Amino acid sequence: MARKYSYYVEPFELGERPRRFLETFAAILQNSNYGLALDTYSRTSTKCARCASTCQVYQASGDERDIPCYRTEMLLRIYRRYFTVSGIMKARLLNSFSLTDEYIDEMAESVYRCTACRRCKLFCPMGIDHGLMTHLARWILAEIGVTPKALVVSVREQLEGKTGNTSAIPVIALRDTCEFLEEEFVDNYGVSIKYPIDVEGAEYVFFPAVSDYLLEPDTLMGNAAVLEITGASWTIGTGNFDGINYGLFYSDRMLGRIIRREVDEVRRLKAKKILIGECGHASRSAKAFVPTYGGGKDAPPVINIMEYTHQALKEGRLPIREKSIKERVTYHDPCNIARSGWIIDQPREILRAICADFVEMTPGGSLNYCCGGGGGTVSIDEIRKFRTEIGGKTKAEQIRRTGAKYLVAPCANCKKQLREVCEDNGLDDVEVVGLHDLVLKALVFPEHMKIKTEKNDEHQQTD
Amino acid sequence: MESFIEWARGPLFRFAFIIMVLGLLRHWLMTVIGVRRAMHQAADKVLPYKAIYRATLSWLFPINKLKERPFYTLTSIIFHIGLILVPIFYAAHVLLWQRGLGVSWPYFPQLLADVLTITTIITAFMLFFARVFDPATRALSRFQDYTLPPLLAIPFLTGFLASHPAMSPFSYNSMILVHVLSANLVMFLVPFTKMSHAILVPSTQLVSEVGWHFPADAGERVAVVLQKENQPI
Repeated sequence: MARKYSYYVEPFELGERPRRFLETFAAILQNSNYGLALDTYSRTSTKCARCASTCQVYQASGDERDIPCYRTEMLLRIYRRYFTVSGIMKARLLNSFSLTDEYIDEMAESVYRCTACRRCKLFCPMGIDHGLMTHLARWILAEIGVTPKALVVSVREQLEGKTGNTSAIPVIALRDTCEFLEEEFVDNYGVSIKYPIDVEGAEYVFFPAVSDYLLEPDTLMGNAAVLEITGASWTIGTGNFDGINYGLFYSDRMLGRIIRREVDEVRRLKAKKILIGECGHASRSAKAFVPTYGGGKDAPPVINIMEYTHQALKEGRLPIREKSIKERVTYHDPCNIARSGWIIDQPREILRAICADFVEMTPGGSLNYCCGGGGGTVSIDEIRKFRTEIGGKTKAEQIRRTGAKYLVAPCANCKKQLREVCEDNGLDDVEVVGLHDLVLKALVFPEHMKIKTEKNDEHQQTD
Repeated sequence: MESFIEWARGPLFRFAFIIMVLGLLRHWLMTVIGVRRAMHQAADKVLPYKAIYRATLSWLFPINKLKERPFYTLTSIIFHIGLILVPIFYAAHVLLWQRGLGVSWPYFPQLLADVLTITTIITAFMLFFARVFDPATRALSRFQDYTLPPLLAIPFLTGFLASHPAMSPFSYNSMILVHVLSANLVMFLVPFTKMSHAILVPSTQLVSEVGWHFPADAGERVAVVLQKENQPI
């Protein structure tokens, strides 16, 4: 069908969309907890526009659709008009707003310009979580068939496809990749490090963004090196090795199903905890929603690999060459792990230990700006120009101001977006890397891991 | 006019005040009930209470919030200080409560009340003009967002003029009448407009956190209602 939105969508039913939108909204209100937030936000929203001054998309575009409260009001207007007593009564007396096809189209466009980074929530005096409203609006739209095709295709493969992951990597390719990485360890580092696969009874089951297996060998090698050197009890599971959860971006139904599959794999392998690799939304989906969908108090604990590495560093179990990375390094906070204050200092302490020239970007921590590709927008290639020139404009300036060579971004999606931002904004000297890419460079491999050959004996003397 | 004033200060005031109190009480109760119900349905019962508490306090006393939109933020803070404190601690109001219900509490010296009244009037109009001249607030503002700031200034302006007859071009009676009527209107409107944030602000951070705590089977139940359980993705 003709492209109506900035992003591709699969063909959807055209008839009676307002009615089906409202039916979906009603079904969600009856069976979820969104009603409380909607009631509160409808009453407390004071239209002060503080959110506008903090949204990097609005600051770059000046388009009123990008004001967080404007977008939230698009949903609240529908809620008040159709689902509150006063709204229904007012509609009978006055010429109130009516939901139309065009209005739905406007909303569909607006919610995918938002990166759901939730920076606006931190600046709203009424604590309105505009990211939650975007999240809800996207779910309703998804149920009437309007979702970026890029997200749907990935989730379809993950939940219904043969490979069970968003990048369609079959198990045989996973094993191949792990073998290849093991060979890289031997060839480049002279060490023997193995990727444990389908080990039962381990403490951690490892879930990186599955695209790392295709795109980020250094990150995966850094992950495995740290885990093996510190003697972690971990494994990769061939039943499910993908931490990605695009359900977080467009549908609570999919969110729940993907989390359950993650937890099932942990139970299948009789493991104890979920270890998420360097991926922001995979970390947040697991951390925030495994307790909900994974059995409440019986749900497996979730940790992010950077928490693990930081713990090892603090306890003196991580052998590194201090300050051995000489180039200037800066750190980007992925929204999904920093906005709530979960992971902010840990990667910085690691970087300060291994880097000689670590600089912060401003603002940093929980107030850092979104890379511009959050909320699944990075997967939508057709809006790249919007993402790098508008959504990522503030980020490009932040990066430029640091003058850094290495931009550490411990998130698979942020990496893709930041590489595109750097390319499209003239930041050609900046290299976007994961945290463990740099940790790998600074690691000191213990003797017992080194491979004893004549060639290596010579190398050891210069260590 | 005197009987009109007596009626406005008597039955009409009582009506408006009770509406305000009951309305705010209802908002508070609905929030408590809503939060309890939501957490009862939610599968994840763990909330970050410390973070919620700290965030709530930081907005109730927003001294660290001046980095974004500093001019607007400072104006709004000063506006709220006078708006809340003068009606409660102005001497003549305290005397009215003592006369009516026999309760009393300490009151401001006249100069302090005067200064806070003037700042409230000035900041009310500053907020109104800030709203009119900023493209972002213009895109967002509804009827009540434009009309409430000037409306709130009226009881302060007329109250000030009533208590300073030497400065007032109008008669005491007319000022008191407009003062009481406008204040009654404001109180009546509190539960029905965004002014209800007065009672809701202490709970908004909690509500936003609770909003992310879903029932475990919400998705499945929605699918059943929409008859989509067996549909492929």
